[in-house]
Amino acid sequence: MIHTLDNKSLLNQGIIIFAYLAVLTMLEYFVAVAFDAVPILVVVAAIKAALVAYYFMHIYKLNLESHVEDEHSYAYKAATNRLGLWLFLVSDSFVFGGLMVARINLLGMTRPHLNQLLGLFVTAVLLISSFFMNRGETMMHNGDREGFLKNTMITFFLGLAFLLGVVLIEWHTVPAIAEPILHLFGEAPGTEPLTPSAGPAGAVFFMMTGMHAFHVLTGLILLAIVWRNGRKGLYDEKQYPVEAAAVYWHFVDLVWIFFYPALYLIGSLT
Amino acid sequence: MRTTNPVMKGLLLLVLGGAIGYAIGLGIDLLVSGTLNFSGSVSAAFAVLLAFASFFFGVYGYRGITRGLVWQIVGMLLGAFFVSGIRALVGSKEIFGQFFFSEPAWVFGALSGVVSFLFGVGALDDWMKWARGLDTPEHHEDPPGWEKYFYVSTDHKVIGIQYTVTALFLISVGGTFALIFRSELAFSQLQFLTTTFRLFNQSGPQMYNTLMSLHGIMMIISILLGVSGIINYVVPLLLGAQDMAFPRMNAFAYWVAVPATVLFLLSLVLGGFDTGWTGYPPLSVRAPVGMQMFFLAVFTAGWSSILGSLNVIATILRMRAKGMTAMRLPIFVWAGLATSIIALTATQLIGLSFQLVMFQRLLGMGFFDGARGGNPVLFQHLFWFYSHPAVYVFVLPGLGVISELLPVFARKPLFGYRWIAMSSLGIALVGFLVWAHHMFTSGMNEYLRVPFMYSTLLVAVPTGVKFFSWVATLWGGKISAPTPMLFVIGAIIVFLLGGLTGPPNAAIALDLHLHDTYWVVGHFHDTIFGGFVFPFFAAIYYWYPKATGRRMNEFWGKVHFWLMTPSFLVLTFGMMLIGLRGMRRRIVDYDPALGFDGTHLILTICAFLIAASVLIFFINLFYSIKHGEKAEGNIWNSRSPEWQVPSPMAAHNYAIPFKVVGEPYDYGLPGSKYVEFISEPDYVTETETTHAKTEPH
Repeated sequence: MIHTLDNKSLLNQGIIIFAYLAVLTMLEYFVAVAFDAVPILVVVAAIKAALVAYYFMHIYKLNLESHVEDEHSYAYKAATNRLGLWLFLVSDSFVFGGLMVARINLLGMTRPHLNQLLGLFVTAVLLISSFFMNRGETMMHNGDREGFLKNTMITFFLGLAFLLGVVLIEWHTVPAIAEPILHLFGEAPGTEPLTPSAGPAGAVFFMMTGMHAFHVLTGLILLAIVWRNGRKGLYDEKQYPVEAAAVYWHFVDLVWIFFYPALYLIGSLT
Repeated sequence: MRTTNPVMKGLLLLVLGGAIGYAIGLGIDLLVSGTLNFSGSVSAAFAVLLAFASFFFGVYGYRGITRGLVWQIVGMLLGAFFVSGIRALVGSKEIFGQFFFSEPAWVFGALSGVVSFLFGVGALDDWMKWARGLDTPEHHEDPPGWEKYFYVSTDHKVIGIQYTVTALFLISVGGTFALIFRSELAFSQLQFLTTTFRLFNQSGPQMYNTLMSLHGIMMIISILLGVSGIINYVVPLLLGAQDMAFPRMNAFAYWVAVPATVLFLLSLVLGGFDTGWTGYPPLSVRAPVGMQMFFLAVFTAGWSSILGSLNVIATILRMRAKGMTAMRLPIFVWAGLATSIIALTATQLIGLSFQLVMFQRLLGMGFFDGARGGNPVLFQHLFWFYSHPAVYVFVLPGLGVISELLPVFARKPLFGYRWIAMSSLGIALVGFLVWAHHMFTSGMNEYLRVPFMYSTLLVAVPTGVKFFSWVATLWGGKISAPTPMLFVIGAIIVFLLGGLTGPPNAAIALDLHLHDTYWVVGHFHDTIFGGFVFPFFAAIYYWYPKATGRRMNEFWGKVHFWLMTPSFLVLTFGMMLIGLRGMRRRIVDYDPALGFDGTHLILTICAFLIAASVLIFFINLFYSIKHGEKAEGNIWNSRSPEWQVPSPMAAHNYAIPFKVVGEPYDYGLPGSKYVEFISEPDYVTETETTHAKTEPH
């Protein structure tokens, strides 16, 4: 049973899970670049999602602490809140599911012209941020407030880096910043950037990344709030808000696990 | 000041505020366009906004809802000017258009108006405090009297009544729209909505389209709010809970629907939209800015539905009384659970589909533009993935009310409890698999039609289970028929007609003929009246004493029923009759040679009779609050827990908790018992021991 592990092993477990995720992400990338094998990509994404949902988002806790007897205790309320958050995530995933349907319907087995290496890079940034988030949450659970604050701060800045990477570089909003960096990732200068009005590929790309970026932004706001209140010592006893922010952050990562191959890896260029 | 009636004061200020807003709008319009346009959009928009805010200012003063509305206006103007300013800085773009602001400015302004409303009304207060690291108490005490209904209360009973009253307001607005266009349809040719008619930048036929579209969507939103109203009021009482699982989010879910209502009215004056409530592209891409207000309003109201149903599911799973196992849940709770599962998940898809059209209009994204590789049929798939299951969101709680009330008035156990409970879930799950039956004529892949035909026919199975159980429950019962029971019986009959006229639409060959005719309109109104409107009235007549301590007038209740039911049946029969003979839906005029004039006149008269009966209901409802017959006991002789304590319900529901000791619907069985209040000493020791057990946290 995972949840009975002691604190030290929980931190080690986080490292092992992160290693698995990193290897799978690399595997995904090379499979996609080397040969076009959509079923493998689907399986890899499903495994990654399952690992995140179980080990980072602790989906098993839904069942674990729901049998507390006293309805006025903090544990009982936290269990109710946990259920509410998961219901919200279920609802939210229908938006992303709908966007995925739109992508498959409109683009089929083609993909927008994007820099795959840059895609791998921003994906790695988000994945690493999830690792630090998990570490921060575990440390808070151990009563290590300083460790929690440090790791949440790292998560926040990695998340910010992801957001800026998408909005500034991928969206080409500021060509002066975007062009040199894209050049660094091997993009030939003078390549026509994707625009929202450039047909279905542009529309799908901007809508999917836009909706995801909006969730990253809200996640960053939650992280900032949790960091600030955590510094005041508000979560030393009542830790559910930390868990909620962490679960939401991992959910944002979970969505990207599916969006990344759908946008960058699957199919051929048009 | 004390002596003035607040409602009168409100109405006076409504007229005054409306006039001032109209004048401001006229002035602005004159500045921008250089001509005085007395029936234009801008003056009407300002009139609507200021009239609303002034009315509530007169009734309630500058707090609660008034503050929200004022903030919404200010937020809207600030947002719109912000975007206009950016457009001015960027240059090359038109700053002011036909509707004063440009379309992006209206969209951003409307969005910031909704957020400002929520801040202004105070729905976010507690959460903002949490973010700042402050703690807030779980329960605020509400003052007695009517004032608590105008500000953010976290009491589920207050919120339930807020929802219900808002739903009734929207029903009357949507019904008025129906009466207007129904009058136009009474005779062939154009009578008053002519091509020379000009109001809010719309000609007569365009106005018909806008009213027809708004009738659809405002009724749908009013049904969603009505569903939330009954569920919010009743479910915690049936479960024995003190409140919903998330009281603050419950309040938020209600208050987000109020700015949505304002946006609906704005869509009427800002050029309207002529797509019907379905908003199909490519027409919705070309419609005036009113289309965008409609999209935003649906999106906003959708959040009300999503968060409300999240709360219901969590409440049902977590807040039940002791001993209330799954198979001892009241049947209405099962219905609420099934309906919430749909609303929680599928609602996101209508929001997404409307967002995509919104962005296609704003940024030129070509999702549904065939010329640029988009696919208009994709919109229909996303849209109907919600909008078909939505009808089960409407009817499942209504069917739950029928099953809940039948045994009370038949004095017999509910026949086949388990089957009824499971049939609600069955309808909800099958409902997810039938959406494309709306699209048989849309040009989607033909091989998809047959599976969708069969899945649609499958819905009739769990629905048939319910009918079987209702008939078997009535069979041999000692039936009494006060007003709630009359409406229950009416609901069963009308819903049966709606149900029987459904499978012909599901059959592909017939549907190709019936699609877009008045047959479909008749069928739809039958299902919704039978599945929602009749049970909604039954529920209001039934639970009214619980909320007020008085009952509604029985005689006028019966008049309401006997006036509404025959008129309604004639209305829908007439609709189906001319539909079969070729009357198209959603059209302002028809060829006199078709010979529909007489039938249409009868339909219009019936529509006015229904409106008259609902007016009687409204008068009865408001009159009985103060003057109704006192009813503080268990007047229906129900076994349900909420009737075992005196009415009106106390602020924190049950002073003494109860436990469930038997089956819920064993009416007429001697010695059977459903709930048992935990006696005082027992209760004290039990809580003490549980505290002792869990304290070390």
